[in-house]
Amino acid sequence: MPKKQVSLDVRQLDNFVYDMSRCIKCKGCYWVEHTYMPGVNFSTRCPSNTWNDFDSYGAFGKMRIGMAVAEGRLPWTPKLLEIIYADPLCGACDVGCKRNLDLEIELSLEALRVKAVKDGAGPMPAHKKVAENIAKTHNQFGSPHQNRKKWVTGDIQVAAKADALYFVGCSASYLNPEIAQATAKTLNASGTPFMLMPDEWCCGNTLYSVGMVDEAQALARRNVDAVKATGAKTVILSCAEGYRMWKTDYPKMLDVATRDLGFQVMHLVEFADAMVKKGTLKPTKPVNARVAYHDSCSIGRLADSWIPWKGERGWMGTVSPPLKRRRGTEGLYAEPRNILKAIPGLNFVEMPRTRENAFCCGAGRGTKEAFPQLASFSAKHRLDEVKSVGAELLVSACPWCKNNFALAAKETGNPVKVMDISELILASV
Amino acid sequence: MDNKDKLIEIVGVKNFSDEPEVLEKYSTDFSFLPAGAANCVVKPKDAQEIQKIIQFANERLLPIVPVSSGVHFHGATIPKQGGIILDLSRLNRILEIDEDNRRVRIEAGVTWEQLTEELKKKGMRMIMPFLPPAGRSVLTDYLEREVPTNTVYDYGEPMQSMEVIWPTGEIFRMGSASVNGYPDSASKGANPSGPGIDFYRFLQGAQGTMGVVTWTNLKIESIPKIDKVFLARVDDLAYAQEFLYRILPRRIGQECLLLNNTDLATIVAEKWPVDFEKLRTTLPSWTLVLVVSGLLRRPEEKIAYEENFLNQVIRNEFRKMELQDNLPGVPGIGQKLLSLLRKPWPAGKTYWKNIWKGGSQSLFFIARPNATPVYVDIVKKNAPQYGYPVNDIGMYIQPIEHNRACHMEITFFYNPADSSEKSRIATLYRNVALALLNQGAFFSRPYGELASMMYERAASYTMALKRLKKVFDPKNIMNPGNLCF
Amino acid sequence: MAIVKEAYKALEAIVGSKYISDDPAICEGYRSGPGGYESGLGYERVMTKIPAAVTLPRNTEEVQRIVKVCNRYKVPYVPYSTGFYGPRSHCHVENELLVDLKRLNDFEIDEKHFYAVVGSGVIYSPLQEEAMKRGAYVIIGGGGAQASVIANLIGDGWSPLSHRIGLPHRRILGTEVVLPDGELLKLGTLAVGEDPFWGDGIGPDLRGLLRGYTGLRGCLGIVTKMAVKLLPFQPERLVPTGISPNTALALPEKRVKWVNYQMPSKEAQVKAMFEIGKAEVGGAVTKVPLFWRAIAKAESKEEFWQIWGKENADTIKNFHIVRVLFIGFTSEEQMQYDENVIGDIMKELGAVTRPTKPSDESWIKNADSAGMWLMCGSYVSVDYVIETLSQAVVHGESYADLKRKYTPPLMPDYGDPGWFQSFELGHQGYSEFLIYWDQDEDTTGVDHFYLETSKMNIKNRYYTSLLGPHQPLYLTGPKYGPNYHEWLLKIKDEFDPLWVCHPPVPLAHDAFVEKADWMKPVKDWKSPEVLKKVPI
Repeated sequence: MPKKQVSLDVRQLDNFVYDMSRCIKCKGCYWVEHTYMPGVNFSTRCPSNTWNDFDSYGAFGKMRIGMAVAEGRLPWTPKLLEIIYADPLCGACDVGCKRNLDLEIELSLEALRVKAVKDGAGPMPAHKKVAENIAKTHNQFGSPHQNRKKWVTGDIQVAAKADALYFVGCSASYLNPEIAQATAKTLNASGTPFMLMPDEWCCGNTLYSVGMVDEAQALARRNVDAVKATGAKTVILSCAEGYRMWKTDYPKMLDVATRDLGFQVMHLVEFADAMVKKGTLKPTKPVNARVAYHDSCSIGRLADSWIPWKGERGWMGTVSPPLKRRRGTEGLYAEPRNILKAIPGLNFVEMPRTRENAFCCGAGRGTKEAFPQLASFSAKHRLDEVKSVGAELLVSACPWCKNNFALAAKETGNPVKVMDISELILASV
Repeated sequence: MDNKDKLIEIVGVKNFSDEPEVLEKYSTDFSFLPAGAANCVVKPKDAQEIQKIIQFANERLLPIVPVSSGVHFHGATIPKQGGIILDLSRLNRILEIDEDNRRVRIEAGVTWEQLTEELKKKGMRMIMPFLPPAGRSVLTDYLEREVPTNTVYDYGEPMQSMEVIWPTGEIFRMGSASVNGYPDSASKGANPSGPGIDFYRFLQGAQGTMGVVTWTNLKIESIPKIDKVFLARVDDLAYAQEFLYRILPRRIGQECLLLNNTDLATIVAEKWPVDFEKLRTTLPSWTLVLVVSGLLRRPEEKIAYEENFLNQVIRNEFRKMELQDNLPGVPGIGQKLLSLLRKPWPAGKTYWKNIWKGGSQSLFFIARPNATPVYVDIVKKNAPQYGYPVNDIGMYIQPIEHNRACHMEITFFYNPADSSEKSRIATLYRNVALALLNQGAFFSRPYGELASMMYERAASYTMALKRLKKVFDPKNIMNPGNLCF
Repeated sequence: MAIVKEAYKALEAIVGSKYISDDPAICEGYRSGPGGYESGLGYERVMTKIPAAVTLPRNTEEVQRIVKVCNRYKVPYVPYSTGFYGPRSHCHVENELLVDLKRLNDFEIDEKHFYAVVGSGVIYSPLQEEAMKRGAYVIIGGGGAQASVIANLIGDGWSPLSHRIGLPHRRILGTEVVLPDGELLKLGTLAVGEDPFWGDGIGPDLRGLLRGYTGLRGCLGIVTKMAVKLLPFQPERLVPTGISPNTALALPEKRVKWVNYQMPSKEAQVKAMFEIGKAEVGGAVTKVPLFWRAIAKAESKEEFWQIWGKENADTIKNFHIVRVLFIGFTSEEQMQYDENVIGDIMKELGAVTRPTKPSDESWIKNADSAGMWLMCGSYVSVDYVIETLSQAVVHGESYADLKRKYTPPLMPDYGDPGWFQSFELGHQGYSEFLIYWDQDEDTTGVDHFYLETSKMNIKNRYYTSLLGPHQPLYLTGPKYGPNYHEWLLKIKDEFDPLWVCHPPVPLAHDAFVEKADWMKPVKDWKSPEVLKKVPI
């Protein structure tokens, strides 16, 4: 067989025909990894397929559907769009598959969305609204751009110039000022001067995630250049989705390696863990609670650095030059746990599904906007798990997780308290 | 050509009989099922003759009643609709002993005595049900799912692949013996299942209604190098069962069983009735028998770890369980039992169940072990209502596979010459069976009238079974009248 | 392509509109290939279709009602628990209903009596975890922890742990089956009550209808509920460790341990297995084919080929590992006894103990079976036979010979004679042959090889898994039994008079040979007009 030119570029669905055609239907994408299987309860980690039982909603079904799309055998219908978009792209499928195989599941799913948009079928109407908002007001919600820094209170020191730049993100700027404030105050408490973007725009998470890759790439270019212009050495984020964009999807779109971005990308948990170890952040005030930690997908499974690759695929599907695949091994799993264990008074309990087996909250990457019922289902399902370990406090590292869990708790009358890790750190220092 | 002539043509005049005295021997057995008369008996020498007989029976719609030994307890071989007794005793060869794969292939007529002796010469043995009569067919016992006394093997039954003559007359080999040219083949017949469907299952428990099995492969084991018998007095059956739930999953022991005083006394008594009466009153209500063995390699170490484990469990969790190598007041019983457990009941001696009163009727079923005390109560409550003394009842509990279940056997001893006693026993038997059935006892081998009791309750099963029977025996000639046929 | 309209409406009333669909995108998700077990081959391309509709019932009653509707309106249907088994578990005809059983996922466990009751949607790893929490364990079949427990126990059901535990057929207790015509059959103690603890028949045992040596691929009814035996294990916890892809169970070394022994020759390797069986010790005993070691080491497909490329026929021939799993069922002392006994055997045979990781990546939770597809993208186990060690050892050699003729398109494996191991403490032996290829290449050779293996077994008088639906029934039938196929077809006709249950199985492979031009050269047996047998 002649060799085929391939790359990891999601703009061409054809790059992933091999991957989609070699899915073996083992459902490693759906089940909690078998080594860690906790029993008959909490046995899955795919929100889409746990929400809707038809095979088509799992990655293994979507690989077959993807082949049909690539071969022009399936027209775009509302049902097909639902199958493709009712999915938080949480990476469980990708990591699950890559425990044993070399298939790019996540990239295939991203490429399918790019194709949907290119064909004029996608994204969902709710996503188009978000895109309009970003174009007009540089944030997802359509809120006034000039209010973006309103969260900054008088007791927060923002440096005019520093090595660290805190990229706040739309959610913390507009919906969760408590997260922005807690993050900023933590940075202050640790004695780390930080800048803000002179003119912060949306990171473009939703745009990229729903396949509007051209718009997302333009934003990426603009934002990266803006950061470079500040001279920042490190960009710190307390939003997991934003973290993933900057660390992985920006390099992906700009066709550079993460290490070649020109600055380091860090999440608050990495930063705080280092500061606690160094002694510059001292959690001394007790917080008395039985706490569970939810591993936000975008700082977990999806957090591996990006290295561009293109080459050939040939005999038995082998590729050259060598390609080290991203299997979710760089997830920030230890850091938040170190932090929680350092806070006095906290009784930290693990849930049955943790780290790369965590069950996504269901809100991110455009899901909550277009499929609120899926987001609600996922969060409620995860809250059952929180309940099963008797936790009274649930902590995560992303405003999307926090808001979705809080809403689900309210809707079900669940007394569990939902916090962002930044708030917990601040409460203790 | 008339039936007699045709049959004589097949088996030869010496192997055919329609003499009343001869036929009478086949018309009854140790059960209290009514006598049934066959038209004749034939003794074929091989599968080909059997095949011809069965083909003939199909043409003439004559029932075939397969009989592989002379020892029967359950009435399954009593002809219910006349017909031809197919006496398989001439098929008595031990065809192969395969020491490498620990397998033996025997014909239907091979007896326990015959097999035990031959295997012993090679240091091998077959795990056994409880005290099989010397002259009983080994194949039939395992076909009929007799429960072995050995509980330690995860893989349970010894049955492997078989040869059968179907009721339609075809010779057929099952499992891995189905390869063309067997036994001259790479396949040795160790796998019972297939080909295509699990035929062997249809023949198990079939009481001769689904075909005539001519030979089978069976697993054999090595004779242990060292055996230690442990006995414990049991007054609280529930407590003993908890003990077995604790130790048997740890893969302790080879043979393990529980016998009540009446059964045990009947088995070990030498002088009748003196010894028997003394034993019956001296023995505890139940005796736990546990044989711990060392196998081929490092036998002492095996015994040591099992004993250490037992001692630890008893010391920490079951102080009332006193395992000793003998029972006080009954010297030598340990060794005697071991010998009994490893050999068939001797040929010359009256079968133990029939020594005391001349006859007996056993009611047996599969049960959850922790339900056995309830079943004991049911039996004890019912017996006096039919004038049967509670102390005369024999009881035997055989743990199965890590004590996940057990075989429980209730024996009513009676004098078969006393027809009114016989009739009372029959009524008692039926009523106790019903009461037990209602409490979850599972009669998986329903002989005699237990069959209708079970099949009436198991509507979906019965229907499917009849459909299957139609496929294999469209003319209903194979032992009609048994089970639901 | 569509289900009969009246039937669809009736089905919708049974399960509710949420649990049935005929949408083309939904149905496309249920396509068999192109990837998967036995996929990318002729059988999959020729014999599989996507369903015309998919339904997801919740319980036995709904399944029974669905099957009755299918019989009434002559709608062909196929039972489907995970779809992992490949083309043979997918729709084979047009206008077919796929009955997705994943919602039959109820679970109960009786710890004291060592059994669990599962629905068809329950897979192995949750069962194994629930068992191990309670001091028990099960065999997770070679297919992997993602296999449906029921589907595996009526299809295959073995692994190196079968050294002690033995045949899956005997691990089936009380069971519910919806027969092809919609009658409900209850087996074991379920025939007379609600307690599923025992599996024997009342008299003849109708568990015989569930499978043969291997399975019937769902052509003789739908099993909806089954009580399955658990086996007593040991009490220490096996702790999951690591982050994907490097996860493993950390073993409690005094109670559970793998040890690899390097044997000086194949004869010694075989003798070790016989001796271990005779000594009645060990929890698992298996040969390790060299390429498994390469797969375990490789972090990628490319790395595998780098490692594998360094091997050759000589290294294969001289690599003889016996891998033993020690389990301290009774106590640490008992495990020590097992080690001493096997140590004696290995000393007698001149073996060397190799350093072995104190963890289990494979057989106990079986998380890595999908790795079989890593090397080439396509894989199937052609033959997997439980017989004796005597057969297992020679079977491999005939097979390796035959395989050479078809390499390529088969993956180069330097004549590896397959995998074999001890079963039922040496009373049985097992051999399995796995083949790998790239489905983008011309796979005619693979299709031929599969069939030629069947003929090789017949010629050499080996027992085989290539029976029943696995290979042409009219090829194997006359040679095993003889004529087992006639009985199988009679049973099929009796219980499925309309042939609505997964048609045209068990004649699907016969149909494939008739339909595929490239199979004509290898068809040298007689079959009646096979396709006319199937009314639909």
